[in-house]
Amino acid sequence: MLTAIILCPLIAALLLCLVPRSFVVVMRVVAIVATFISMVLAIIVFWRYDGAAMGLSGFRFEQQVDWVKSLGISYHVGVDGLNVGLILMGAVVAFAAACCGWEIRERDNERQKEFCILLLIMSGGILGAFASLDLFFFYFAHELALIPTFIMIGVWGRGPDKNYATFQITLYLSVGAFISLIGLIALYLQSGAKTFDIVGLIAHVKQHPIPLRDQNFIFPLLLFGFGILISLWPFHTWAPLGYGSAPAPTAMLHAGVLKKFGLYGLIRIALPLLPEAAQSWTNVIAWLCLGNIFYCGLVAMRQKNLNWLIGYSSVAHMGFVFLGIASLSLIGITGAVLVMIAHGFLAALTFGLSGYLYQTTGTLEMDRMGGLLRKLPFLGTALIMAMFAGCGLPGFANFTGEVTVFFGAWKQFPLVTGIAVWSALVIGAVYMLRAIRNIFHGPVPEQLMAVAESTWPLRKLPYLVLLVSLLVFGFFPRLLTDKITPSAKKIIEMANTPSATPVARVETGQVVSVP
Amino acid sequence: MVELLAWLVLFLPLLSVAAITIFTRGNAARSGAISITAVVFSFICGLVLFYALPESSMGMPIQIPWLSIHDQGLGLDLHVDIGLRLDHLSLPMILIVTGVGSLIHIYSWGYMKGDPGFARYFACLSLFTFSMLGIVLADNFLMMFIFWELVGVSSYLLIGFWYERPSAADACKKAFLTNRVGDFGFLVGILLTWATLGSLNFRDLETRLNVHSVEFSAVATAVGLLIFCGAMGKSAQFPLHVWLPDAMEGPTPVSALIHAATMVAAGVYMLCRVFFLLNVDGSQALQVIAWIGGITALMAALIAVQQNDIKRILAYSTLSQLGYMVMAVGCSGPVPAMYHLTTHAFFKALLFLGAGSVIYGLHHEQNIWAMGGVRRKMPITFWTFTFGTLALCGVPPLSGFYSKDSILAQAIKDHHYGLFVLGVVVALLTTFYMFRLFYVVFKGRPRTEAAEHAHESPSVMLWPLFILAIFSIAGGLLGIESLYARHFEAAVAGTEPGFWDRLLEPFNEQLLAASFGVLAVVFGWLWARSLYRNKAVDPLPEKLGWWSQLLRNKFYIDEFYENVLIPCTQDALARVADFIDRWIIGTFAVRGTANVTDVAGRLLRMLQTGSLQMYAFLLVAGVAGVLYWVLGK
Repeated sequence: MLTAIILCPLIAALLLCLVPRSFVVVMRVVAIVATFISMVLAIIVFWRYDGAAMGLSGFRFEQQVDWVKSLGISYHVGVDGLNVGLILMGAVVAFAAACCGWEIRERDNERQKEFCILLLIMSGGILGAFASLDLFFFYFAHELALIPTFIMIGVWGRGPDKNYATFQITLYLSVGAFISLIGLIALYLQSGAKTFDIVGLIAHVKQHPIPLRDQNFIFPLLLFGFGILISLWPFHTWAPLGYGSAPAPTAMLHAGVLKKFGLYGLIRIALPLLPEAAQSWTNVIAWLCLGNIFYCGLVAMRQKNLNWLIGYSSVAHMGFVFLGIASLSLIGITGAVLVMIAHGFLAALTFGLSGYLYQTTGTLEMDRMGGLLRKLPFLGTALIMAMFAGCGLPGFANFTGEVTVFFGAWKQFPLVTGIAVWSALVIGAVYMLRAIRNIFHGPVPEQLMAVAESTWPLRKLPYLVLLVSLLVFGFFPRLLTDKITPSAKKIIEMANTPSATPVARVETGQVVSVP
Repeated sequence: MVELLAWLVLFLPLLSVAAITIFTRGNAARSGAISITAVVFSFICGLVLFYALPESSMGMPIQIPWLSIHDQGLGLDLHVDIGLRLDHLSLPMILIVTGVGSLIHIYSWGYMKGDPGFARYFACLSLFTFSMLGIVLADNFLMMFIFWELVGVSSYLLIGFWYERPSAADACKKAFLTNRVGDFGFLVGILLTWATLGSLNFRDLETRLNVHSVEFSAVATAVGLLIFCGAMGKSAQFPLHVWLPDAMEGPTPVSALIHAATMVAAGVYMLCRVFFLLNVDGSQALQVIAWIGGITALMAALIAVQQNDIKRILAYSTLSQLGYMVMAVGCSGPVPAMYHLTTHAFFKALLFLGAGSVIYGLHHEQNIWAMGGVRRKMPITFWTFTFGTLALCGVPPLSGFYSKDSILAQAIKDHHYGLFVLGVVVALLTTFYMFRLFYVVFKGRPRTEAAEHAHESPSVMLWPLFILAIFSIAGGLLGIESLYARHFEAAVAGTEPGFWDRLLEPFNEQLLAASFGVLAVVFGWLWARSLYRNKAVDPLPEKLGWWSQLLRNKFYIDEFYENVLIPCTQDALARVADFIDRWIIGTFAVRGTANVTDVAGRLLRMLQTGSLQMYAFLLVAGVAGVLYWVLGK
């Protein structure tokens, strides 16, 4: 099942290589159908996933095929409560992004084929990264998704800073990926488990914890490696710049889904395998997260370009996930996963809509717009709803996630949580409402008198899908939390217990140092 | 059955929102009909519940679990229900929201006729009704917060209903943001309460408070003040009051429903709902609440004296009355607060709808000095408005007299003599500014063309005025006070007071308060009459001098916020953050790293000249160096 979800877009990408360049409609349809099948399958997996009936390893829909036995690499996929929602979110966003490829079609018919292929590869890579239970494939799938991002920004990007943006995002993210790769390899070596399999690693570490010295070396590598990928402050400047220049479908997929890879890695790998180091770093993470939530929120207030504003706000939202992780509490981690999923939908929605807006008006400079709600009723309503979701309005999934994080983190970090609440409720509202005021309210400027919406109903489809997802999980958060909590509990138990066995730690420390 | 009715009360308006947005957006009449039907049926369900609900099932839980995480590590449960609580506090409030709401929905049918956004208007109105009912029925803090935010957004949408007008667009933004500042405190207060007492459910909190009273008393003041922040935003108390007068940019029925009768009262209702958390030993919160309420009442009444826009005068009057209610809560009197909230909902809705009728009849003229002599042109509006004015001023035996008197009596009972004096002064000012409005708008001669040709409003707008007028007159004799008292005080044995007892109750109970209240009305009326009868210009600015300037400009509080407070705090921080991001991180660090790499690359490139001789020379030099290193020693 999971394999089908991953392979569907990848096979479609292969097929498209055989399609002649002029069959533009065929390519579009293939891309949409492939991602649609993935989405339907992901919904089925999500629906049938039942946390209570998990197998021995704690995963469902598992599939394992050995690949390189000597190194312990295998193709291993499976879902538990942590990634089942993320896969669903990824598949929905991939479908929406494929539907939003229209923007490209009208501007650049020539390279339609390459764009579709890259988009499909990216979708397959993303889904593979979240489904994978093997460190090797986990990393490989992420790179598979990451590299098309660079190409797409470089070739189909917009704006005067396109080249610099491509340059910066490529360098930045490659460095981040590289640092985390070092961390992952070190983890593989120092654990002594001789396997890349995450389930196997966890089982092994439970018996033989990784020595503290190594943990203290590996954890920062993972934290900052992944941190760069997630735009952890102060490594965030690539994000607004990159998203400002990226074509809409790319920004949707990257900001919505791919960026969550690092967070997922931290929760899935770093917390259970490196518990003591994680505990000693929680304070740092909690204060760094304010760099995202508070500082980037303030910067967002000063933006004049809509895409930059959304970019900074998306960086700011990452802070809530960090806060949830830093709390190392069940409520906090559950909230963190909720925010990841909710923000995935939200980021895709806002970047998709801003792409649509750019296509309609030819500008994203907010000073040059106004009163567009009358001219663009659907786009306006959807974007206003997205803005409210972004500043934490109940009814949308983001509110549930953020508020859960606050509850989880309050006991440990009251001050940090307090500032985060201020940023979420007040600063978020300031920049979001300012954007609404500038773009949709007030009189319409002369040069935009003629804009109109496309009347084609399919044009609305991707945005409706994303909005409905946000509302469904906002109204019924238990759909997610009932799945997340049992799995998060395991992570939390591993992350919080090992200090109870100091003797075993000294022994393993000696064992490792002897050879 | 009870459960079904309760869910219907809450969800009928939401169904109407969904139906309008999905199906009937394009059809104005049908959208309006759906919305009106929903709120009327909601009202009927509420009535059935109110009369048929047996005492034994009061406060029984009706819940659907919404979010539930049991955290052993923290030792805390995050458990949130969508739960309804039916008791003597929420049931009357449901009737106010849906009852006054129904009348205003019907009135809107006439007032908004022909507006291109008719369907959108009714969808927003239904959304508001749903959210407000959610606040009233909520049985836990987080659910209340959820609906609190939804009320905020529906208010945003309705204030900004005519969003193409820059003033309306700015006003809705300001309202939402000011409320968000209050909500910040509210949410932090909820977090603190939850972390201390371990629950969010009001009933659980009440029982846990008895067990953990020692732990709680350490944070009681903080909790009380933080939660009060929420009420300060929503009920527009000083210093977060600035949004309410601007909110008058919305359509007038909206001002009546949301910004006078119901939503702004939500803060007071919430304080009464969690009164058990405020009223604990060792908490200073009530003192602060009482004085903030008093200050708001006085300040708003003073400002109202020198406003010239009919809706703004009523808005400041609302502020002032809300201050009364908050003051009553602060004087440990939730019953008088709720009492005044109820009567105020009647007469203030009536006044706003009456003002709307005047505005409608004068083709959207709002300046009172451009009116005059409206009495003869619009007799029904005039008479209903008059009764609303008398009720607001507190003329016995109208409803406002009883509720205001109970607040003044409460201030004496709680030994807040300063606040009692303040309350009497506010009552005097209230009568003064209301009769100023009355004389200038309705009496005298028409001063403009529009006033000359004013016409009475259609009957769909007049019936709601009638009904509200009846309640404004008789509201004090319906036994509303004893209804609320049943919630807050242990059941008082004895018979229900008869009609004559109710009529004369204030004078029997607390003669001082009642007589001062009446005196204030008399003096206020005489003062206004002497100044404003048959006047074409305001004589007061000459007499008051710079005071008038100060009042007209609302004590310059808006200017202070816009030009001093916000630019010096948050905006300044944002500027600094933006600077750091652009220049220090963006340029210095990121480009700096890039430049260092670049320069290093250039330097290294000098070695890669591609000249064979050079390489050979370097090779030899290297070999020589190594040889020297190895052999030379």
